[in-house]
Amino acid sequence: MAGLDYAHRRLVNTLGPERVARGEHERMVYSHDFASLPKIALIQWRLYPDFVVLPRTTPEVAAIVKLSDETGLPITPRGGGTGSVGAAVPNRGGVLLDLRSMNRIVSLDPSARTVTSEAGVTWRDLDAFLGSKGFALPVLPDAAPASTIGGAINGGAAGTGSFRHGTLRGSVLDLEVVLPDGSVLRTGSAVDLGGAFADLTPLFFGAEGTLGIVTQATLRVIPKPETSRAAAYSFASAAAAARFLRGIVDAGLMPFHAALLDREHFVFERALRADAPEPADTALVSLQGPKDEVADLEKSVDALAASVGGAKVPAAVALELWERRFMMYGARRLSRGLVIARTLVPVSRLEEGVGRARDLIHQLKLNGAVHATLLDTSTAYLAPYVLMDDTAPSGGTALGFVKKLGDAALELGGHPMGLGLFMVFNLLKMHGRATGAMGSVKGVFDPNRKVNGGKTTELWTKFTWPVINSIPPGMMGFGLDAAAFLRRIKPTRDTFVRAYERAKGA
Amino acid sequence: MGLLRDWAFIEDMTRIPALSELVREALIKALFTRDDRVLPPAIVGTLSKTPAVTVKVKDDAEVRKLVQVLNGEESTVSLGLSAEDFHYFRRQLGVARGKEIGIAPRPRSLLTYDWLVPEPRGVQLDFSAYGSVEFPEGSARAVAQVGAAWTDLSREALANGRAVPFVPTVPLDFAIGDALWGDAPFASYEGDFGAYVLGLRTVSGYGHRTMVGFDAVSTEGSGYDLVHAILPHAAEFFLPVAVALRLVARPAARRILTYRYADGAKLAAGLEALTRSGRAVAWAHVADAGAAAALRPTLPPDPFTLQVSLAGPESGLATREKAIDALLAGFTSKASDVPDPFDLPSEAYRKTADRVGRSLFVGEVRAPVRSLADLHGKLAGLGEQVGAKASLYASVRSTGVVSAFPAFEVQKDRPRVYELSKGVHRIAKTIPGAVFASRLAHLWEDDEAFRKRMGILTALKRDIDAAQVLQPLVSP
Repeated sequence: MAGLDYAHRRLVNTLGPERVARGEHERMVYSHDFASLPKIALIQWRLYPDFVVLPRTTPEVAAIVKLSDETGLPITPRGGGTGSVGAAVPNRGGVLLDLRSMNRIVSLDPSARTVTSEAGVTWRDLDAFLGSKGFALPVLPDAAPASTIGGAINGGAAGTGSFRHGTLRGSVLDLEVVLPDGSVLRTGSAVDLGGAFADLTPLFFGAEGTLGIVTQATLRVIPKPETSRAAAYSFASAAAAARFLRGIVDAGLMPFHAALLDREHFVFERALRADAPEPADTALVSLQGPKDEVADLEKSVDALAASVGGAKVPAAVALELWERRFMMYGARRLSRGLVIARTLVPVSRLEEGVGRARDLIHQLKLNGAVHATLLDTSTAYLAPYVLMDDTAPSGGTALGFVKKLGDAALELGGHPMGLGLFMVFNLLKMHGRATGAMGSVKGVFDPNRKVNGGKTTELWTKFTWPVINSIPPGMMGFGLDAAAFLRRIKPTRDTFVRAYERAKGA
Repeated sequence: MGLLRDWAFIEDMTRIPALSELVREALIKALFTRDDRVLPPAIVGTLSKTPAVTVKVKDDAEVRKLVQVLNGEESTVSLGLSAEDFHYFRRQLGVARGKEIGIAPRPRSLLTYDWLVPEPRGVQLDFSAYGSVEFPEGSARAVAQVGAAWTDLSREALANGRAVPFVPTVPLDFAIGDALWGDAPFASYEGDFGAYVLGLRTVSGYGHRTMVGFDAVSTEGSGYDLVHAILPHAAEFFLPVAVALRLVARPAARRILTYRYADGAKLAAGLEALTRSGRAVAWAHVADAGAAAALRPTLPPDPFTLQVSLAGPESGLATREKAIDALLAGFTSKASDVPDPFDLPSEAYRKTADRVGRSLFVGEVRAPVRSLADLHGKLAGLGEQVGAKASLYASVRSTGVVSAFPAFEVQKDRPRVYELSKGVHRIAKTIPGAVFASRLAHLWEDDEAFRKRMGILTALKRDIDAAQVLQPLVSP
């Protein structure tokens, strides 16, 4: 391997000095994603990249990838850093590509109803641009304000709008990808061909940047809906709210979006903002489309909510909840960190899933809230979050919650979401005998493990010596089980809300 | 059978670039039409080794055993065959020979035509007796064995309080498996077949039961989405035995609205308005006069018939119908009592399928919905040119795209199919945004990105099916 100074010179020659960083501060910023990670993780991974580079064009990305053959440095692509499983965090240092400088909207084709955008554009910016042209994105990921086009595609994100318009995966028609050999591949076609002509786009959706670097995407757009309304209902329990969501599927209703926010979420919000809605187990439904259809649908949803004991919340509150839908994790300010356990569970078992999440939060003596949405008629996205203080020695043990909830999702017939660096142990549990085929996919695209190696299908450490260069995924799972055990035997419950209010008073 | 096999076979035969330019298309034509006068004897020999044994599957354990025999893990003795059968089986399969022997499923119905390169001996699986459907209680989903006919799945779903959201655009008697290894054009207004597939229960090339995807939930966030990447070629990677499908609730009320148009341009404009409106529709199908005559022989056909299926709570249907009437302005008459092909009893559906299936289909043209009239006119011109009456079946998508299936009233001989496919391919190239998707179009495609993707898929196939059992690639 060439020295780091040589690699630095070559990178500077390629991109210019202003777009290559190697300072301690820049490297530190890129050493974690949205999830809080205890410092102990540095023992097994080199989370700090050696260099951070900001390419602006696809040829520049290709040049950096080719350069890695000379320098031997691994490559980690990154978007907005909104993931929470370490997929966009280096495990052996190397070159981190921050793609947010690739932020051009390339073209909008109103007649074909498609938009082509570079990977670093955020979903909110793209949606705002489309809105100005009379169009909208059918689906937006949860973290739309910060999440980039490439980031959400790589993360296999779930999103708002998928219940009405199909999953985010379905709205991605074509990708431009720089492959690990430096060549550029178009994965599909700008015309929706239903998988014809060897469409490889699905392989990149959720690939966590391990098969190549997505630099451009062509997405389906929809004409801006005639009207859009939000309705919210409070329920006596989270279970009743979950029953309501299930009722939407059983009644064949097709809202744009339907979500559940439990009481605890509003307790956290109240601690942060005095004008936050009254804490209650709440369901939020968004309706979009022609006026008559929306009015008719709202009546049906109202009747359904009433049948399971839901009380309609004032329209202004519903509208506020809808407008704050991308700001779900403000509670992070109460502690010093926050962990989201993203899972998919069958809609038929959502009630059970919500119950299991609440029980786990209680058993592990955590402060946490439950959030769930309908992804499609059979799948619900269950994503509770818990607060943690990653500066405290016991803070990292909250990660045990993610492991335990993932296990619960598997038991319920669903699966945890995201593998990245921290959750690779779930791959075998999710895919059983098909796990080998996942390894084949990585092997075909990136036999030398240049791009985001040691993640998703395998788990590398920072070491390159045999035996200690990788961790058996099961051992990582065992470690998180141990963390959950430590939480369970912890004598006291976390009291972030009280501590925050005390500090505020002081 | 298999797209990757056809493609790899032709790539192998035209490996020298200069030669490829000169002979590739001639070769495809000769292979497709089986013009043995121009094909080398070795190739004719390869193409003549059709599957010798057909096994009617009743249990997936049989499939596993067969795969294990073919990949050399088990001998035929362990299949529990009688001595007579044992020798027959061994001889037919040529077990213990050096060459790969494969296993391939047989489609129940094919819309277009067979593949170029047949299974080199080996076993063909007939799944017609493997067609039960499981409806997990309280869930909007089903697990259908691959032999389940679409009509049976649809009927059983309704009996279980659910509805199958997709229908075959061309109503032939397809089994669910035909979408995985055949060319069944299942679709709804909102999406393609893939949008409703959660996972595949399969047997791998190692003879193991292997779940690709999930039974009850979508694949998001679970790593590489293998299910949707391989769906059109699934049986070349794994042998699917059942499909986990996402259903919807059985609608409280449903209306089939039939609009008749004299002018294709007005129809196209109406459909463009409908797809821009954001209105929820279950499916919207267009049939021209020829197609309508095959679908409803007792009714006088109009130049264009559009059927729209509306579903939902009874309360809002009337308003929605009025709004759709307004969007589809330009129709000459409207009816709400014309039967649609999908709600017929099984026997009547099969009779319709027989009638429709007599036409020659060449594949699918995807085009912007506003180009529908243009496409129709050009197809009619092609029909006149070759002396075959052309007709059109089409399914409209909410995305503003139409999936059109041209049909020709002509004898189904391979040279004619080739000639018509070429014609349709030419037409699609003249319409902005239109693409002709068929097996032949795949072989003709010379786009560099497509070739690269096919190369990746082929490498993936070789790796996943390392034993070369599932529709193995064949060298000339």
